[in-house]
Amino acid sequence: MSSREVILGSIRSHLAASPPAELVQSVFLPEPTPPTLRATSVVDVFKESVEAVDGHCVVVQTEEELTGVLKNFGGRIAISDAPLLNRLGIEPSRDNIFDIDVGITTAQAAIAETGTLVLDSSRERNRLVSLVPPVHIAIVDASTIFQTLGEALAFIHQDGNISPAVTFITGPSRTADIELTLAIGVHGPQELYIIVNDGPALTR
Amino acid sequence: MNQLSSETFDKNAKAALADVQLRGALRHATSLFGKRRLEAARSLNNWEELRTHARAVKDEVLLHLDRYLETFVANAEKRGAVVHWANDGTEANAIICKLARDRNARTIVKSKSMTTEETHLNDALEAAGLQVVETDLGEYIIQLAHETPSHIIAPAIHKTKRQVAELFTSTLGMPPTDDVAQLTRTARATLRDRFAAADMGVSGVNFGIAQTGTIVIVENEGNIRLTTSVPRIHVAVMGIEKVIPRLADLDLFLKLLPRSGTGQRLTTYQSFITGTKRNVDDEGPDELHIVILDNGRSRMLAHPVTRQSLACIRCGACLNACPVYQQIGGHAYGSVYPGPIGAVITPQLIGFEKTAQLPYASSLCGACREVCPVKIDIPQLLLHLRSEITSNGSKRNATERIAFKLWAKVMVSPALYNLSSLAGRLIQKVMPLAPAWTRERDLRPIEQQSFRSLWKTKLSHE
Amino acid sequence: MKVSLFVTCLVDQMWTSVGAGTVAVLRRVGCDVEFDNRQTCCGQPAFNTGYRDEARQVAQRFIRIFEESKADAIVSPSGSCTAMVHHYPELFAGDKEWEPRARAMATRTHELSAFLVRVLKIADVGASWSGKLTWHDACHGLRDLNLKNEPRTLIRNVRGVELVELENAEACCGFGGTFSVKYPEISVAILDQKIEAIERSGVHAVVSGDASCLMQIGGRLSRNRSKVRVMHLAELLASQSL
Repeated sequence: MSSREVILGSIRSHLAASPPAELVQSVFLPEPTPPTLRATSVVDVFKESVEAVDGHCVVVQTEEELTGVLKNFGGRIAISDAPLLNRLGIEPSRDNIFDIDVGITTAQAAIAETGTLVLDSSRERNRLVSLVPPVHIAIVDASTIFQTLGEALAFIHQDGNISPAVTFITGPSRTADIELTLAIGVHGPQELYIIVNDGPALTR
Repeated sequence: MNQLSSETFDKNAKAALADVQLRGALRHATSLFGKRRLEAARSLNNWEELRTHARAVKDEVLLHLDRYLETFVANAEKRGAVVHWANDGTEANAIICKLARDRNARTIVKSKSMTTEETHLNDALEAAGLQVVETDLGEYIIQLAHETPSHIIAPAIHKTKRQVAELFTSTLGMPPTDDVAQLTRTARATLRDRFAAADMGVSGVNFGIAQTGTIVIVENEGNIRLTTSVPRIHVAVMGIEKVIPRLADLDLFLKLLPRSGTGQRLTTYQSFITGTKRNVDDEGPDELHIVILDNGRSRMLAHPVTRQSLACIRCGACLNACPVYQQIGGHAYGSVYPGPIGAVITPQLIGFEKTAQLPYASSLCGACREVCPVKIDIPQLLLHLRSEITSNGSKRNATERIAFKLWAKVMVSPALYNLSSLAGRLIQKVMPLAPAWTRERDLRPIEQQSFRSLWKTKLSHE
Repeated sequence: MKVSLFVTCLVDQMWTSVGAGTVAVLRRVGCDVEFDNRQTCCGQPAFNTGYRDEARQVAQRFIRIFEESKADAIVSPSGSCTAMVHHYPELFAGDKEWEPRARAMATRTHELSAFLVRVLKIADVGASWSGKLTWHDACHGLRDLNLKNEPRTLIRNVRGVELVELENAEACCGFGGTFSVKYPEISVAILDQKIEAIERSGVHAVVSGDASCLMQIGGRLSRNRSKVRVMHLAELLASQSL
């Protein structure tokens, strides 16, 4: 008998030995309403949530403003394969990702109530660029910001499909493992800059 | 690896109580954790409903665990995950060691996984000649110190920053400092190379989603993301009880887990990993292996009281609320899982032979039950285990068993009851009763006139 | 209202003024109090230590005796003993004869402050006592019986009392039944945190609804030669010292 059979068999026989249980009706929360993309009303909430978790958030209206913000960052830069980033004319460094200073990606969506970015690795090559360099810059369209976590969960599971790797990012990396004292910047980025594009969509 | 045994719990506890530094660290950590948890819970106006609901979802899953597990596995396999089943820790370790050998993986990075602590995976990997590095800061600290974790979510919480600094200086050659930011930067720099060079990453799993075959792992540091995206092989170890029905159910658990664990609204990163990458040159590991571990869990399904043990989402809130844990810390329990949840699952996972003290190491105050996000009734479980321990006929508590048999005889007979109280009144004149009490506390003497006598002579006439 | 007193073995043997105080208060608010002297114990020590057969023997006796009472309520000056009786249905779960009897008994049994405030709807029992007091929330009373406001309401109405809230009033005192002698060092370590808070509060007395907690707290206070004394709620409510 395989271990699978042994374990499943053990589960079944122990459950069968148990006295019958009363189940609470309707244990399942209703599925949240289908994801609706909101306009700028969520931008302020999002910005506040991001800053509450030690992230930086800047709101721009145009691609020119966006480029202006990005000019503030120097050093060795890596970018994801998002079409937007590739047409902005940023000079990506050829260094190994572990030697990069700044990683720039977009985000497929965001969550206002928690200040969270949603990165879907099947839509953009953003996994390591958003993780390894000490600074991560993420560009997100205001129209992709959801109000709640529940909506974001429905979004990543649209059409019953979920990509191989989805990451939710809320602020820069941190730990409180030493005396419960907060230290920002552990293995993930030490700084997170989020640029919200509140003008016409750029990341689509 | 140095580990105290749960068999010597009483000695371990006494030693912990004498450790002034430890008690200071514990007081600081547990009160801060407790304060943050309370504020986070209060920030939601439906906290109680969430708890009830989460427990209901867990109960539903546990009652049909075989089906939910099969669905999870089928969906994970459809997406390219290789699923292994391990009856016990030895088997799980053997699976992982063989995989490492077969794939020529020599360096392994690990993110924090209590399940792999339970199986002592690191010992097995090292015995097989493999290099394992813990990457969670707290786990890294205790690995350097050759210790075991003392808390479910903050493994090194028993150490002061001075102790951590001394450790880093002696093992890493770091210049002496008290600055936590500097200590953290040192750990980051030291571990960076290990991530880059690792052949295999081993992680735990917080939730396995049956609906999609997704594994969900939550963290603050980023080491889990590195562990699960840089090396070419990712091994995720998951207890059978970690499965939940749908992705949508995560909303509930992601509201409860971070708040209960650290008082955060959300931890920094949630990784949702479903199978393997779609294209060969996509980022991420080439292989995903999920090791599903039983190790005694399925046995707990047999009774509603014990079944609730499997609802645990490993938040650690019960540890912080427990007056016993607050005084003695995690190591004294001599088991991978300490505190209230440890006291109930350790005996069930490994048997009573060595763990019979643990269910008695509680004043039954119920603070744990109050803070548990999935409403596990730990005092009820402790009482259940105590009755199992006394009825297994071991020689250990023979004296106590006889004492309680006599006690029952006295309590059902007023004549014997009055006689024994008379005896007590006489004995206390010549000999102190209960030295275990009187060493540090005064003891009220038995009254010269009992209440029933007082009633008879006075109160009934008034 | 006819009340049958469940005095508890601890009070019967070691703290009779708690029993006397309970009787005095119940009479003062107009209850007719009876006491069945066949009662001994509710079975808690055996149940808590894991000896369920022995606990059941003692519980059955308790149920038989109190079933004979025609009183409207059974009242006890102990949160933990009342909670034990409330656990009787669990102790006899599945027993077709005893589970219903256990359930009926549990429904009739009340802790003193719960009885006064929730059943009799009385907040002022006409007591008086001069001094600064604090309340320790005994664990079973707090968490099993949800006693939080009831004792405080009663105490606030005692003329002459200044009630201050104890820091971490809900923290366990470390007694835990046999825990206090199986793990005395841990029990005292937990206790000392309670004692620290008590001394910091500057009160004259600590009040609680469980004699066992008061023995634990009082035992340490007196060993420390502290000026703070312990008092049971029944003693306080019976007091008419002004």
